[in-house]
Amino acid sequence: MRDLKYKIGILLIILGLFLPMGLFAQASGETSLIMDSLTKFWNNTAFANFEFKYLVMIVIGIAFLWLGIAKNWEPLLLVPIGFGILVGNVPFTEGYQIGIYEKGSVMNILYSGVLTGWYPPLIFLGIGAMTDFSTLIANPKLMLIGAAAQLGIFATFIGAYALGFTPQQCGAIGIIGGADGPTAIFLASRLAPELMGAVAVAAYSYMALVPVIQPPVMRLFTNSKERLIRMKPPRQVTRFEKIAFPVIGLLLTTFISPSAMSLLGMLFFGNLLKESGVTERLAETARFALINIVTIILGLTVGASTQADKFLTVDSLLIFGLGAASFIVATAGGVLFVKFMNLFLKEGNKINPLIGNAGVSAVPDSARVSQEIGLHYDKTNHLLMHAMAPNVAGVIGSAVAAGILLSMLT
Amino acid sequence: MELLYINSWSEILIGSVIGMVVVFVALIILVLLFDFIQYLVLNSSKKKMVKAGKKVEEMVDVSANEIAAISMALHLFINEMHDEESNVITIKRIERRYSPWNSKIYGLNNTLSR
Repeated sequence: MRDLKYKIGILLIILGLFLPMGLFAQASGETSLIMDSLTKFWNNTAFANFEFKYLVMIVIGIAFLWLGIAKNWEPLLLVPIGFGILVGNVPFTEGYQIGIYEKGSVMNILYSGVLTGWYPPLIFLGIGAMTDFSTLIANPKLMLIGAAAQLGIFATFIGAYALGFTPQQCGAIGIIGGADGPTAIFLASRLAPELMGAVAVAAYSYMALVPVIQPPVMRLFTNSKERLIRMKPPRQVTRFEKIAFPVIGLLLTTFISPSAMSLLGMLFFGNLLKESGVTERLAETARFALINIVTIILGLTVGASTQADKFLTVDSLLIFGLGAASFIVATAGGVLFVKFMNLFLKEGNKINPLIGNAGVSAVPDSARVSQEIGLHYDKTNHLLMHAMAPNVAGVIGSAVAAGILLSMLT
Repeated sequence: MELLYINSWSEILIGSVIGMVVVFVALIILVLLFDFIQYLVLNSSKKKMVKAGKKVEEMVDVSANEIAAISMALHLFINEMHDEESNVITIKRIERRYSPWNSKIYGLNNTLSR
């Protein structure tokens, strides 16, 4: 209580100093100079530039932080993006090289990696160095689920065109359905940089919301008998196969879709570093230090790119709506395709359709959803290992799809 | 290279179908190729077994449960390893010369007690 009295006293003294200053200024005729300086200072503060839309974005940023920290939903993505939204939505006076869209500002320099699209391949290098393709190699037919889930991309591509977006913008919006943040950023930077903020935030937000979006769709398209299907454990994979996979995978996919070379090249290169067994130090750097550094800068700048005056538009709302629809279609595509495959598979070789959702490439969240839903219906049926196969195939599939869109729309 | 140019409904629909088909084709080729590699690898290991005088029926994968148990045992073993310690805990007394720096007596207010 006594402390509070002191503080109020000090505040009154500071305020009291302004009175003699003002009187002095009036007497000496310097009123306008002081007032001008104060007005200029005031005009440069965030309070003077404040508009309601900035508050909306700040609330969204705090919501992202809350989801990341309190709910533990994709904290590695939501915390940098959420904080980036706060950074990008502090109102400022233009012309002082502060904002992310002002050429030469620090944030603008960091954002250049997003705009020119060189962050995503570095992230893919790290993902490659982390990913174990063994389950995919052991049961290659599961790769097709990763292809089926790309239906979300092309369905959204058509949907966006129906809503009046240009074909290039449709491509950038469609890729949200791939559930792959780096790929979405890469394609948006090439096709529609003006939509970058909305596309990136939508892609990452829905990736974080995979545990919420996917389960109802999975339940809707499966019956109780299908949910209990037990799959054969995958066979052991030899070292030769693990080393051959990135080499063959790269040559094959990039020969078909060369536009995806920077993404797939880095993905398979990272995987070769891991599997070769002789470049462990490089693999270690790619999967820890490098990917962490790029994720920090990418998350922060993508968040900051949501500057309210550029971001809060009807287009952004439409993109968010299309993004949600694309995730639903992609999930349904994967689940229904497994059911279709089961029509041709013998009893004992059938696939549990609950791994169909993992075809969207949100690694490893969608595979984790398969595991959790599978365990919900049978406490001893572990689907995680099987779901990882379509999950990593989804990464390859969405990169190939991005390459196709790029070559069609550039 | 001549690129497609899309700007009408029919082109959007055809482009989408082509895109989806290409994704499928790329992954189907990968599936077929790895099925073939799998066939080669299994065949060569069977031949090695026959050469070594073993029966092909003896070639069985280690079950997933066994792998999980071995992995867990290794994990526990590696993570619980640490240096052997002497188990003698001593507190070394250090004599310091008096210094008023950070002395408690100078940090307290002598308030009057009524």
